Amino acid sequence: MFDNFFKFEITAEIMSSLIVMGIIIILSIVIGIMAHFHDPLKKPKGLLFLAEIGVEFFDNFTKDLIGTKLSGFGGFIMAIAVYLFLSFIFGLTGLPSPTTNMAVPLSLGLISFFAIHLTSIRYTKWRYFKRYVEPFPVFLPINLLSMWAPLLSLTLRLFGNALSGYVLMNIVYYSLESLSTMIFGNFIPGDWSGIFIAPLIAPILHLYFDLFSALIQTMIFISLTTIFIGQEIPDEDEILSSDVKLIRKGGK
Amino acid sequence: MNIIAAAIAIWGVIPSAIGEAWVCSRAIDGISRNPEAAKTLRSSMILACALVETTAIYSLLVSILCIFLG
Repeated sequence: MFDNFFKFEITAEIMSSLIVMGIIIILSIVIGIMAHFHDPLKKPKGLLFLAEIGVEFFDNFTKDLIGTKLSGFGGFIMAIAVYLFLSFIFGLTGLPSPTTNMAVPLSLGLISFFAIHLTSIRYTKWRYFKRYVEPFPVFLPINLLSMWAPLLSLTLRLFGNALSGYVLMNIVYYSLESLSTMIFGNFIPGDWSGIFIAPLIAPILHLYFDLFSALIQTMIFISLTTIFIGQEIPDEDEILSSDVKLIRKGGK
Repeated sequence: MNIIAAAIAIWGVIPSAIGEAWVCSRAIDGISRNPEAAKTLRSSMILACALVETTAIYSLLVSILCIFLG
């Protein structure tokens, strides 16, 4: 896991990330074809119904947190959420989960980081650089350092959660195998004595470490991303008050 | 030596546990005062708990890295 940290090569986690991407691409193509040939007056069924629920949920989610200004941001958030959730629960198949490689959380964090700063640039134009010298120009180094805090916290939260779950599950499997060997080793010969206790206890832990933490971490990642993006959009009141000041100045 | 470093690093979960207890006690206070708001309070409580858990996850990550990399 850590030996390939600074090397450029395709590890097992990157392969499973590619598999997750393939699943998402096939799903989106199938849903797109279904939506294209579906009669809009009839009730949607099956996969199309689920997709409509998802799209509506994420549209409402971004509308609540950002406002109606950036409509169409729901698609971006939904893409990130689906990829993140699938790659978290991909560990249930027995293949390595993509999030246990540092590259995948870092890429997701970088995507949100760029989304946040590009939104800020889009709305504040040249005043964007003013944020680094606020409230005094002396604060420039501190502001330059604190700029990276959201990226680090988003990345390390995902990576830490996935890695700790993976390591804990491996420890649990190892200890349960030793326990089973200790109990059944005398009756059953060979390597088959270690498989009896783990299937009883491990699924409950998988429910917490894989499914529950996947759901919660996905929710947190997308809420933090949307809240950070929503912060960068100036309020309408601010724009109005500054305009009023300009108008008054022009009047005088 | 690595094990000692990991054991020191895992102490960082203590404030996180206290903070999570605060979040839960406040949420239960709110639910007992206004039982109708239980649904929204519960969902925001779980989100806040997971946010508070972040520092605990950092220290767990540091201690795991201490054991395996150190």
